[in-house]
Amino acid sequence: MPTTASASTTSGSDGGPSSLVARLSSSDPDVKLKALREVKNQIIGSKTKKLSYIKLGAVPRVASILSAAIADGDCFQTAPAASVRGMLGYSSNVVVQSAAALGSFACGFDDGVQAVLAAGALPLLVRLLDHPDDKVVDVGARSLKMIYQSEFAPKYEILERGSLEFLVSLLNREGENVTELGAHIIAHSCRTFEEQKVMLKAGVLKRLVSLLDGSVGQRDASLGSLAAAFKNNSEVIKEFLGPHGGKLFNAILRLTMDSNAKTRLLACQCLIVIRDATDCYILELGLNRKLVNTLLELLDDPGQVGDESPFVLSSLVLGKEDLHTIALEADAMVKFRDCMEKENVNPRRLRGVLLALADLCSKLEICRSTFLSMQVLKPLVGFLNHKEEDIRIAACNCLKNVTRSIKNLCAGYFMKNEALVTALVLLLMDASEEVQVAALGVVSNIVVDFTTQKSMFVAHEGMQQLFGLSKSMVPAVRSNALWALRNMTFLADDKCKEAVYFGMTPSLIADLICDDELSVQEQALALVRNLVDGSVESIEQVFADDGIILDAAGSQLQCGPNAEVLIQGMYVLGNIACGNEIHKEAVMCLLFPLVGRGPEPFFVNFLLSTDSRLRLATVWVLINLTLPSPGALNRQQRLQKEGVLSIVRSMVNDPCLDVKIRVKTLLTQTELGDF
Amino acid sequence: MSLVWIVLRHLADIEEMAESKKVISRVEWEKKLNDVKIRKEDMNRLVMNFFVTEGCVEAAEKFQRESGTETGIDLGSIIDRMAVKKAVQCGNVEDAIVKVNDLNPEILDTNPQLFFHLQQQRLIELIRNGKIEEALEFAQEELAPRGEEDQSFLEELERTVSLLAFEDVANCPVGELLDISQRLKTASEVNAAILTSQSHEKEPKIPTLLKMLIWAQRELDQKAIYPRINDLSTATLEDSGV
Repeated sequence: MPTTASASTTSGSDGGPSSLVARLSSSDPDVKLKALREVKNQIIGSKTKKLSYIKLGAVPRVASILSAAIADGDCFQTAPAASVRGMLGYSSNVVVQSAAALGSFACGFDDGVQAVLAAGALPLLVRLLDHPDDKVVDVGARSLKMIYQSEFAPKYEILERGSLEFLVSLLNREGENVTELGAHIIAHSCRTFEEQKVMLKAGVLKRLVSLLDGSVGQRDASLGSLAAAFKNNSEVIKEFLGPHGGKLFNAILRLTMDSNAKTRLLACQCLIVIRDATDCYILELGLNRKLVNTLLELLDDPGQVGDESPFVLSSLVLGKEDLHTIALEADAMVKFRDCMEKENVNPRRLRGVLLALADLCSKLEICRSTFLSMQVLKPLVGFLNHKEEDIRIAACNCLKNVTRSIKNLCAGYFMKNEALVTALVLLLMDASEEVQVAALGVVSNIVVDFTTQKSMFVAHEGMQQLFGLSKSMVPAVRSNALWALRNMTFLADDKCKEAVYFGMTPSLIADLICDDELSVQEQALALVRNLVDGSVESIEQVFADDGIILDAAGSQLQCGPNAEVLIQGMYVLGNIACGNEIHKEAVMCLLFPLVGRGPEPFFVNFLLSTDSRLRLATVWVLINLTLPSPGALNRQQRLQKEGVLSIVRSMVNDPCLDVKIRVKTLLTQTELGDF
Repeated sequence: MSLVWIVLRHLADIEEMAESKKVISRVEWEKKLNDVKIRKEDMNRLVMNFFVTEGCVEAAEKFQRESGTETGIDLGSIIDRMAVKKAVQCGNVEDAIVKVNDLNPEILDTNPQLFFHLQQQRLIELIRNGKIEEALEFAQEELAPRGEEDQSFLEELERTVSLLAFEDVANCPVGELLDISQRLKTASEVNAAILTSQSHEKEPKIPTLLKMLIWAQRELDQKAIYPRINDLSTATLEDSGV
C-alpha cells in the first residue's frame, strides 16, 4: 500500500514521494535525472524510506531508466562524434545515478534486494562492469556488491562454462570495488566440494589471500570468501595451506586483533571454519581463550557485528566442554545477562545470545548453576512470551538445557516457579508447531521432579495439553508430548498414572504404539514402561480394554525393526513380569504367541542382538519371569524346552558387563529347577 | 629546533628513565635529549599526515613541494572531503548529505549511527532557525522511523526533540546541542567516516603522540624529578618544583 503522501521537508520538492516516483517516468530528461537524484538521496540510510519507495513502484522505474541509459550509451559509443560526447557524458551520469540508487535500495535490506532482482536489474548492473568509464564500473561493482551480500542473491554457478574465468577476471582487475565484488560472489556462492576444489585449482585462493593486505573492504570480503572456500573441506585446506600454512594462519590470527570490529569477527569465523574442517591446525588452549575473549568483547559493538558475534561464539563452543569452561571463566554469563536485561534488544542479537547461552548450559552443571545463581531466570521466562517466534523457540531451547540441572530438578526448583509453568503451558497451545516442540523439550525436563510437585503443572492444565498434543498431526509434536508424559510418569504415584490412563485412554496409547513414526512408537512404549513400573495396581491398568495396549506392544515386538522401540517394548514386558502370576503368564503369552510363530521364539534374536541394551532388556524379562513364585518352575521349563536358556548359557562371557552380570543372575536363579 | 622535534626526543628520553626516582638536572636532561636520534623523514611524514587528515590541501601541496614528502593520498579526494566537512560546519547538512552520497553512496547506507547524527544535526539547525513546524514534521517523518528501526537512537532522539519543549532553548538542559561544538562533532564524525571508507586512518598521529607524552610524563613523575613539558603548544622544558 502506498504511504500517505506528505510534504517533504527535505529538498523543497512538491507532492511528496508518490509524485517523485511519477517523475521518474517523465519524458523530460532533466526532470527525470533530478527525480532520480532525489530518490537516491531520499532513500539513503533509511530502511523505512526504502520500503515505502519500493511499495510506490520506484525500483522498476529506476531499472528501466538504467536500461535505457545503457542502450543510449551503446549508441553514442558506436558513433562517437564531438557533438555526442556531451550526451555520452550525460548518459553516463544517468547510468551512475540510477545504478547507485539501485545499490542503495539493496544495501543491507533484503526487501530491497528482492525488489531490485525482480526488476531485472542484475544483468544491467553486470554490463556496467565492462564500461569504459571507471566511475560507471565502480558504481556497478558497488551495487552488485550490495546484492551479493544478501542471502537472496541468486547463486552464481561457478562450475558453468565461462563463469570461473569471469570471476577470476574480476579478482584481478584494478578497481577495489570490483575485486571486492569478486570475493563477495565467492563468499555467497562457493558451497560444494567441487566448487571449492575448482577455486583452489584456478589459483583463486592465492589471489584472495593477497587481498588480505588490501583495503578494509577487500580484506573483509576476502576473509568471508576464504571461509566459504574452506568450509568442511579438509582436502582443500591441507592442499592450499600445506607447508606454508602457518603464515596464512598467523595472518588471519593477526586480523582477529585488527582495529576494525567487522574484520575481527570475520577473522574469528575463518579460523573456526579451518578448525572444524581439519585437525592440522588444532587450536591450542591459548588460541581458544583468545577467540572466546575477542568474540565476547565484540558483543559490545552496537551494530551488526555485535548482533552476529554470539552466533559465531556458538559455532566456536558448540559441544566442546573445554570451551564451555573457558567461556565461563571469561565471564560470558555476565555478558549474556547484561544483554538479556537490556530493554529493546535487537531480536537478532537476543536470539544469538540465547543460542550461545543454550550451548554453554548444554553439558556442564557448573554453567547451569552459574546461570541460575545470577537470577536471570526471570527475563528468560519473560522471553517465552516474546512476540517473535524465533525468540520463543530460542528461549525454550535455552531453558531446556538449563533445566537439565539434576541438582535443581531434585529440589523442585523449576516446578515451583509459577511464571515458568504458566508460560510453558501457554506455549503448548502456541500456533506454531516448532514452538510447541521446543516447549515440550522444557516440560519433559521439569516434570522429572522427584519431589512430586507436579500439582502446579496439573493445575494449569499442563497435563491436558500434553494429552492433546499427543494427537497432533505433526510427528515431532506427538513424540515430544509423549516424552514429556513419559518423564512425568517416571516413579510417579498411582494417582498420576491413573490420570494419564484416563486422559490418554488405552486405545490412544495402543494407536501411538503402532504409529507410523518410529520415534512416536518408542516414546509411547517408554511411557507404558513407566506406567507399569511400580505397584500391582499400576500394572493392572495396562490390561484395560481387553489388553489392547499389550497387544499393540506385542505386535511391535514381533515385527518392529528398530532397536530403540524393541528395547522399550522389552522393558514393558519386564516390568509387567514383576507383577502377579496372571501378569507373568500374560507376558509368556506375548513371548510365545499362538499365531504367526516361527521355528524359534522371536525374542531369541534379541538375545543375539549386537545392541547390548536390547540383550540386557531381554535378560531382565527372563529374570523377572523366573523369580521365585508359584508358576516360576513351569515357566522356566518352558523356556528351557524352547531352547532359550541354552542361548542364555552361551552368553556367560558377554562383552557387556551389565549383560554378563544379569546373565549370571538368571542362571543362578534357574539352576535350582534345571533338572 | 622545531617543537615536534623537542617533543619526540623528550618522549624517547622519558621511556628510558623509567627505572629509578631521582633528580635530574636540566643540563643532564638536555644532554640526554641530544643523544636521542630522530629522523627528519619521520617528522615530515607526521606533519604531512596531519595536513592530509585535517584536510589542509594547500598546506599539504606546499609542504610536498618544499620537503619532498609524499602526500600518500589523492589531493582531489581531500577537496571533496573538505567540502562535506565545511558544509556540516556551516550547518548546511542537507548539502553535506548530497555531497557524501556523490562521493561514496555506501558511507551513509552502511553507517547508521553517522546518518542518524547528520539527521539529528538537520533537526537542530531547523530548531535553531526557529522553523518549529518544519522541525516537528522532520522529526516525525525522518527521525522517528530511525528510532523505530534501531532503538539505541531513541534516547538521543528524545533529547533532541526535547529542545522543542523549551522557550529559551539556549539555556535549557539540552542547550549544548545548539552549540557550535555539536556541529564540529558531527563534522568530525563525517570526516572520519570518509577517511575510513578510503582506507585511511581516521585521525592524525600527532594527537596520539602527545597523549603518549602526557601519559609517559605522569608515569615518570612517580619515579623521578626532571624538566617537564607542561605547555604542549610551546614544548618548553620547565623545571619541576621541589
